[in-house]
Amino acid sequence: MFQGIIMADKSKIGMEFPAYTISVEKNKIAEFAVAVGLKDDKEQIDPIYYDEEAAKKAGYEGIPVPPTFMTSLFFWTGQGLMGIVKALGIDLGKLLHSEEEYEYFGNIYEGDVVTRKMKVVEMYERGKRDRIGRFVDVTVLETEIINQRGELVVRVRSTMMER
Amino acid sequence: MAIMYDDVKVGDTIPTYTSVPITRTHLVRYAGASGDFNPLHHDESFIKMIGLDNVIAHGMLIMGIAGEAITTWIDKRNLRKFHARFLSMTEPVDWNDVENTKNRATIIISGKVVKKYKENGEKRIQCDIVAKDILGSRKLSGFFIAALP
Repeated sequence: MFQGIIMADKSKIGMEFPAYTISVEKNKIAEFAVAVGLKDDKEQIDPIYYDEEAAKKAGYEGIPVPPTFMTSLFFWTGQGLMGIVKALGIDLGKLLHSEEEYEYFGNIYEGDVVTRKMKVVEMYERGKRDRIGRFVDVTVLETEIINQRGELVVRVRSTMMER
Repeated sequence: MAIMYDDVKVGDTIPTYTSVPITRTHLVRYAGASGDFNPLHHDESFIKMIGLDNVIAHGMLIMGIAGEAITTWIDKRNLRKFHARFLSMTEPVDWNDVENTKNRATIIISGKVVKKYKENGEKRIQCDIVAKDILGSRKLSGFFIAALP
């Protein structure tokens, strides 16, 4: 019940979340591409996201994923958002996602089996105290996405704020 | 055709990308696709409880739209880094007042080349990007790095 007024619990820096493994499914890729394209169905998106031949013709080894697809690997594994909220003691009604960064080392393709390994890398208070005398708490999470061959394909840095 | 490193100059703008107005249906679709079911993005009763007026778009949906904008210009496999900072909330269009709400819900992505350099044996460019609505409110700022042939 005091979640909203405690300071960032710095003892959580370095905390590792359980690793989760998930298959990259063909229909999920198309669904995601339709969603970020603000389209109604997959006939309206770039065929590289649902047609293997089109993807190969465009120079990919298989059906690739859109640039921000990794976010779905996060939400659809573990307890998704609530897992993070509970582990960090953040009040869901005050949570704000303030920054996101992807560093791409390779491609993720349909049929890959990827593991996400996430840890807390930074926790600090930022800015001026608000009217109840509290700083804004900032938490930075780093996630490595590793494919079935053990290759690091994407590194994700997500910054969360409690407003 | 592929964009060539030698054809790109620092200061060049990237093609401007304009979305359709974001609807609540788009938010629900993105919630399902991404798995982000934070009620902030679809449940008006939750919104009222925390003192906001309207459901708001996922910041990651705006970043996703920016990703679309980038990959209509360069091949997705050439992306090396993509960074976004979320600046303000985006409310969807209201069907009962489309005229007055469609501009707040329409996202325009623009950007320009700020750097050209060689790294890891690749020819890379860095571009700043910004997402605004039609009213000029900044939603997201960030940058991407791409390797070009």
